[in-house]
Amino acid sequence: MISLSDVSKTYNEGRPNAVTALHGVTLDIARTGVTVFMGPSGSGKTTLLSLVGCMARPTTGRITLDGEPVSGLPERFLTELRRVKFGFVFQRFNLIRGLSVLDNVMLPAAPSGEDPKAVQARAMMRLEALGLAEKALMPVEVLSGGETQRAAIARALVNDAPVLIADEPTANLDTALTHRFLDIVAGLRDAGKTVILTSHDPRIISASAVTAVVEMRDGQMVRGRG
Amino acid sequence: MIFRTPILTLLLVSALAILVALGAAWFGQRVLRQWDLTSGSRAQLLMERRTELISTLFAMVMLAEAVALFLFVFNADRMAALFVGAMCAVGTLNVNPYGFPALYAKIGVFFAAAVWLVMDHVDRLGRDYPLTRAKYALVLAIAPLVIVAGGLELAWYLGLKTDVITSCCSKLFTPANAGISDEMAAVDPALALWALAGAQVLVLALGTFAAKTGRGHGLFALAGAVFFAVALTAMVSVIALYVYENPNHHCPFCILKPEYGYIGYAFYIPLFGATALALGLGAVAPFKRRGSLRAPLPPVLRRLTLWAMAGFAAYGAVTLYAIARSHLILFG
Amino acid sequence: MKTLRRQRALADYTLAALARRKVKNSALVGVFSLVVFLLASAMFFASALRHEADTALQGVPDLIVQHLSLGRQGMISEDRIAELESIRGVSKVRGRLWGYYYDRVVGANYTVMVPDGGAMPPPGQVIVGEGVLRARGLDWEGAPLFLSRKQGDLSRFDIAKTFDSDSALLTADLLLMNEADFRAFFSVPAGVYTDIAARVRNANELATIVDKATRIMPDERFVTRDDIARTYMKLFDWREGLMVALGAMAMLAFAIFAADKASGLSAEESREIGILKAIGWDTRDVIAMKLWEGGLVSIGAFLLGCVAAYAHVFWFGATLFAPVLKGWAVIYPDFPLAPVIDAAQLVTLFLLTVLPYAAATVVPVWRVASADPDAVMR
Ligand SMILES: Nc1ncnc2c1ncn2[C@@H]1O[C@H](COP(=O)(O)OP(=O)(O)OP(=O)(O)O)[C@@H](O)[C@H]1O
Ligand SMILES: [Mg+2]
Repeated sequence: MISLSDVSKTYNEGRPNAVTALHGVTLDIARTGVTVFMGPSGSGKTTLLSLVGCMARPTTGRITLDGEPVSGLPERFLTELRRVKFGFVFQRFNLIRGLSVLDNVMLPAAPSGEDPKAVQARAMMRLEALGLAEKALMPVEVLSGGETQRAAIARALVNDAPVLIADEPTANLDTALTHRFLDIVAGLRDAGKTVILTSHDPRIISASAVTAVVEMRDGQMVRGRG
Repeated sequence: MIFRTPILTLLLVSALAILVALGAAWFGQRVLRQWDLTSGSRAQLLMERRTELISTLFAMVMLAEAVALFLFVFNADRMAALFVGAMCAVGTLNVNPYGFPALYAKIGVFFAAAVWLVMDHVDRLGRDYPLTRAKYALVLAIAPLVIVAGGLELAWYLGLKTDVITSCCSKLFTPANAGISDEMAAVDPALALWALAGAQVLVLALGTFAAKTGRGHGLFALAGAVFFAVALTAMVSVIALYVYENPNHHCPFCILKPEYGYIGYAFYIPLFGATALALGLGAVAPFKRRGSLRAPLPPVLRRLTLWAMAGFAAYGAVTLYAIARSHLILFG
Repeated sequence: MKTLRRQRALADYTLAALARRKVKNSALVGVFSLVVFLLASAMFFASALRHEADTALQGVPDLIVQHLSLGRQGMISEDRIAELESIRGVSKVRGRLWGYYYDRVVGANYTVMVPDGGAMPPPGQVIVGEGVLRARGLDWEGAPLFLSRKQGDLSRFDIAKTFDSDSALLTADLLLMNEADFRAFFSVPAGVYTDIAARVRNANELATIVDKATRIMPDERFVTRDDIARTYMKLFDWREGLMVALGAMAMLAFAIFAADKASGLSAEESREIGILKAIGWDTRDVIAMKLWEGGLVSIGAFLLGCVAAYAHVFWFGATLFAPVLKGWAVIYPDFPLAPVIDAAQLVTLFLLTVLPYAAATVVPVWRVASADPDAVMR
């Protein structure tokens, strides 16, 4: 269970350009299932996701992860937590150009000091499961949109993190690829992973794999379902 | 004199060290006043990130200072050829009254920095910054030392006049000359060797105990400091005699010369390294029971203890080697 | 183990990153190695000269006595030889004849000496340094050397042999003559010498002996070998120091350049670091990675610069610096310098170049590394 209680986030706090992106959000996210944050642009979905994923600390309020408070932790702690607990797929995928697919997938494991052979084996396994094994040694810039996304998913899963976080994963995909993505998500859910997405794509929100939807508006939660 | 490459280099290192020490001290006082891990504020976050910068810079400059200490002595030895009456580093250091104080200050900086680096290393093991306050309190003490050392060094180099007739080791380390150096020289050789053996046994025994049980690092540090003092006394009183194969030459600097195969470095590098590690261990031992360190600290303490013991043992081994190789017979 | 593997993974990433930005990094290494090259050349060259001087000084007598009249050096009477021999501890006292000869033909100064002992050339013959031959353009075997002291007066000497170039620093302009030839050529009367050389067996007694001798011969000046060595050393040190100070300015300029480069990251590079932070790299991981980068660049530049300097000084005779360090003599020794480098020199050079570079780049690197991890989410 990931719980947020009365969480607010203000960017550029104390400066004239301060923006409060989230106002007193209270929310529980189940550890089994697929949760989607939906809402219009600028409603604070990405901000909420970054707080849930230990990317940033809330300005006020508490976040607990499986009962452990994480909102007050030093950044160093938070980073480590993020590395082992969360995998991220970004809106623009953010693979590093010039590196091969395999190198990109292995990157999140670099700071943990694991045996490189073990990491590589795990990365190859993920790539294989996502149908990218034969592209492993290609540079990422030659991949197609769907392949890029799958490479990004493989990277998010390489540390065996129990929670997968994806920001607008289907924004640039056509219907076929969106369905393929939903299949992957369903597979992960069945494997016991927690998946948290943001989207304003009705195809996602109405998908059968989705177990909970959180609707946002102007930095506030307006409705939760599931 | 200032236009000598090693001198320019040493002054550069000192200047950088002073800059970094000042910056670190400024940040240190802020840490002591404002550090609050429980606050999630942006200011605290930025301060946490800044500790990474200060640690990196400080570690870098202090490693350079350790190398500079070696260069300092080496260069003093080389410059002996420039001064009438100087045979080794002692003569050069004696050219004006700032030489020896500069050396002692630099040694002080070396040990303080080593303690700090050990603390920094341990601090990074725990995720909740367990030693950060202590570390920055220490920075406030180290900064003035670094400045004093740099100042003395500069004063010494500026005061190096080649027309000065200086006095060297043959005058300094003799019973005829009053002072601590002659007292060290006057210690009975047999007594000095026994004391060295005793200190060696003590330090290794305490080290073994600390490595085995994970306790008693404070005592080990103390024993290390005692060993350091005894080792230097033994060097002046008897080991030097064996190295030079001359019953009257007590100088602890001439052994750094090429004529003696640079054997001095084989003595001093392990001795200084081990003592520095031991002191560092003593400084971090009180933090063993901190929650975030309980798991990661013991293996690191053990490893550092073993390294320190290896250094102390190396000093003893090199001593035995020097005695065995020597043609000088002092006893029997 | 874990630490090592982490460092290896970071180093691997760095290598790949360096390879991806070849142009920028080669430019950096290029400029840096140029600075290292300048500094290293100056240091290697000065130490080679010091070494040459040391070798040469081994043949210099322990004590030299000169006669001073009106504050200038004059010829010394041979009576002093016996007086000096009477002092205990002094041996092998002998008078020396030497002087300078200005060769109007080529505008060069030669040092003319009467050697003592074995190497004495027979009357009418000379032994010359290779610099003299070069100046005169006497490249064929058996060519005679004509020297003239005053208008219309020409002396012919045959060249007995030339010096090999082992200690060329001191022999390049040297011309050895028979004693009788020397006295005739320079009109030096019998019974006087240029100066007197002596050996003192125990170096520790030198000061006492000089004291005693000064009391017996108040008009003479005593120069010990250590005095000469000190003068040489100071001269070379000072010149080297000056060049190094100049090199250090270049280093400073480079450090500023490097700091600028490190802080002005391309948009692509800062994005990359943002991504790394977002996927779980900590500030210190990024710093460590960047330190690897700086380390690899410095090591590369350091090695390149040192090797180039080595080649420059010891294979190509330090063509760029020689005029400054050797002095401005017309006759200029042409000889390979004996390679002498010690660890302390390399350590010095390393501190002098890599430390400022590292110090200059750490702050910008840290600035980059402390980016907010959530920055790439939008
Ligand atoms: N670093 C920042 N500094 C200032 N304001 C910010 C920052 N990040 C986000 N904001 C503001 O916070 C608000 C919420 O942004 P957020 O990115 O969370 O929206 P979103 O719901 O993800 O929008 P979209 O669907 O367009 O991605 C916006 O008004 C945005 O301008
Ligand atoms: Mg968004």
